[in-house]
Amino acid sequence: MKVDKVIVTNRAALHNKYTTGLQRIDDAIGRLIAADRTRGLTTLSVAIDSTTDMRPVKASPVSQVLDRRQVKAAIDAVVTAYTPDYLLILGATDIVPMQVLRNPARGDGDANVPSDLPYACVAPYSNDPSVFLGPTRVVGRLPDLVGGDDPTYLVTLLGTAARYRTRPREEYQRYFGLSAQVWQASTALSLGNVFGDPSAMRTTPPRGPHWPDAQLALRAHFINCHGAPSAPEFYGQPPGQEEYPVAHEAKRLKRKVSNGTVIAAECCYGAQLYDPKDSGGQAGICNSYLADGAYGFFGSTTIAYGPSEGNGQADLICQFFLDAVLAGASLGRAALEARQRFAALYTHLDPTDLKTLAQFYLLGDPSIHPVAAVPHALSRTKTFKKTFRQAKATPGARAFRRERLARTGSNLQQSLGAARLIRVTWPAHVTRVLRAAAKESRITELARQSFAVSFPRAASTGGMKQFATARRGRSVYLLLGERITSHKVKRVVALAATVQDGVIVHLRRVHSR
Amino acid sequence: MSFRGHVVRKRLSVGSKSEHEALVLVTPDGQEYKLRRQGGNPFHDPALDVLEGQQIECDGIVRDRQLIMSRWSVLD
Repeated sequence: MKVDKVIVTNRAALHNKYTTGLQRIDDAIGRLIAADRTRGLTTLSVAIDSTTDMRPVKASPVSQVLDRRQVKAAIDAVVTAYTPDYLLILGATDIVPMQVLRNPARGDGDANVPSDLPYACVAPYSNDPSVFLGPTRVVGRLPDLVGGDDPTYLVTLLGTAARYRTRPREEYQRYFGLSAQVWQASTALSLGNVFGDPSAMRTTPPRGPHWPDAQLALRAHFINCHGAPSAPEFYGQPPGQEEYPVAHEAKRLKRKVSNGTVIAAECCYGAQLYDPKDSGGQAGICNSYLADGAYGFFGSTTIAYGPSEGNGQADLICQFFLDAVLAGASLGRAALEARQRFAALYTHLDPTDLKTLAQFYLLGDPSIHPVAAVPHALSRTKTFKKTFRQAKATPGARAFRRERLARTGSNLQQSLGAARLIRVTWPAHVTRVLRAAAKESRITELARQSFAVSFPRAASTGGMKQFATARRGRSVYLLLGERITSHKVKRVVALAATVQDGVIVHLRRVHSR
Repeated sequence: MSFRGHVVRKRLSVGSKSEHEALVLVTPDGQEYKLRRQGGNPFHDPALDVLEGQQIECDGIVRDRQLIMSRWSVLD
């Protein structure tokens, strides 16, 4: 029997949290599995801590809830055995922990990067993010509340997933687009790219957080604001000022979010799962959207990156996610395609690119299709309908898509390079050029970092062989500096020089936000 | 938990989307925590500005290198 979707969870951890309420969760999982069946999906629930459930996949059960090595091995074994098209991680980080990766952008304030990216990758357990450059699996996480003891939240989310319905694209064309005022040019570019028209963008300041009901009821939300750990708000900022007015609040979402809403949030910590007790009992914005009927939330676990002008990093991966959703992809496929498209933009990932790939993830059932794909004309013919009478779509189509996604991920894993921090003395000409650029940019130097760019062995074969020699000595040198703006506000600017065979081949200036 | 230390102003999350200036508690053993008031704005909270340059003791929880304070007092 082909298993289309696997739900993985830790039953002992659920029992420890909910004790008497566990039956309600079991019943809700049963209803989701039944609903999946009516959609043509065979769904299997697997407890990774159960000897009975893990025996068929020839793996040891997880004995310690937070043992990340055990959990990664268990989930890999489940996916290898059943090859599901969708992997749903059920529970927050105290049920199924995220993998904890080293922070490639060391020094930005995050000790590490909690990530679901490794669960989307074939590569075995590691805390090195550069091991996970080729995601191939369609993964999403349906969270409960960290530290909670009432199963109602999780039962509600399972119910939303069970009862989901696909809607026409038109219902997602109008959007709630929210930006910190300081980033409005970048956000307008993103909204234009995704929706074709940025004119509906709202900014904080001057407005927020009292958004009209009609705005919050729109089904596509794109948010580019500040965020903070364990904070149930997002924040705006006027250009050139150290003011951070509240832009969006979790407590204002209750009964305001339409069923089926999909959110992409660029904000730092935008999808962090934290214990509501840390913020006076108020769950985070991501948790609150899902509680109110949203289907999916795509966001970051930690501090995110983006350029001051134009688009980059967080802007792009969020755009790619919404792009795929609007084109009719499942939420999980949209998250995977976003990761793959983002990674495929580069020959190698610099530290902030690598962190972006690791930190963004999907909260929601990955098999949900919020938006109907536009069918081709042949599907309206009698022959087509007769041929595929039993299925709502061509049964081979999803298999073809998974094959393509696995190929893309595998290619990335075998070809993409990543920058790794090293300690070397800067070459004299690099020092000279970056110092000159710093002077020209009116920057006072704060710190220097050096990175070696390394590539997988397979990246130097076949058609890529011609580049092997040239990029052998590729490295990145980063000068972090400070500039005083006209408002007497200090701004940090990073100047990056990419060097190949001793020659500077690329210069980049990244402004802080 | 209780903490004690010197409050300084620093630039944090350098180069990220949320780079900002904030008050940081530097403890006697060199640990640094961004200061935040329970329920206060994590980026700029005028209620905490008076602590800059002061020695303080406080109670709170640490989350992601932020010290979310429920109580504090300035030491003489």
